[in-house]
Amino acid sequence: MASKTIVQDQKIPSVTKKVTTESILQFESCGILKKENIHNNPELAAKRLGTTYAIASGRMSITFAAESMRKFFGPDVFNHTGTVNLKFLRPVKDGDTITVTGAVNGTEDIEGGTRVSVDLFCDNQDGDRTAVGLGTAVIK
Amino acid sequence: MANSKLKIFDYDKAEIGEALGSYEYILTQEMLEAFRASVDDPEAPFPTLGVKHDATAFAMVYDDPIGTVNAGNQVEFFNPPIVGKKINVTGRIADKYLRRDKPYIVIEAIAIDEDGRMLEKLSTYQLKRPDELGKKWHPKP
Repeated sequence: MASKTIVQDQKIPSVTKKVTTESILQFESCGILKKENIHNNPELAAKRLGTTYAIASGRMSITFAAESMRKFFGPDVFNHTGTVNLKFLRPVKDGDTITVTGAVNGTEDIEGGTRVSVDLFCDNQDGDRTAVGLGTAVIK
Repeated sequence: MANSKLKIFDYDKAEIGEALGSYEYILTQEMLEAFRASVDDPEAPFPTLGVKHDATAFAMVYDDPIGTVNAGNQVEFFNPPIVGKKINVTGRIADKYLRRDKPYIVIEAIAIDEDGRMLEKLSTYQLKRPDELGKKWHPKP
């Protein structure tokens, strides 16, 4: 794994992503149902949310956070034992730059290893928090 | 266009444990590449996140004219999916509750591949009053 020792408050690698209309639409194109939604249709977003823009799926932020976690624990660990749990606080939209940061907040011995918990934060280019949550992975 | 086979979602009638759509699809190289490009991560191992298993399971059963906003997501990773393999998805309504008088449901989907490998468990906390978030984001003076 990328980090050989885990200590309290240890920072995980940050990840910064530029979100664009193109990336939002490409993410939406991955679905197997081709449905219009608040992510790919600005008019629908306006009708339902009152926004003037389509918003990025929260699952994009989940993916960004998972990348940070994967880089910290390594794919052999995170891709098989990892979790990400985010609460969304603000919309992410075209033109935003999202930075994921995090730090270890605790460990717990469990059967088969140690579960490491990481506080996760997503912030935009203005310093506004767009999501907050917790990630975990189990190390041997 | 509305699908006449879909039920109109009624929050009051939704039940915890209620089955949503179950379906299968084959993960293609194109899907993997599109997902990786969209999140600017050439090693992103779970294109299943872009497929939105739980929301897809919901949309296969319900038409929701009010719409929804994701208040949160929780995902557990077990094994990255493999291109060319069939993925089987089972969805359900895992929870339903009011918070500050606002209606939420939790939809959940479990994905297993054709070899029986558990891939991912994805849950979404959906606020069924999306206009409430719009007001929060754009408060009127």
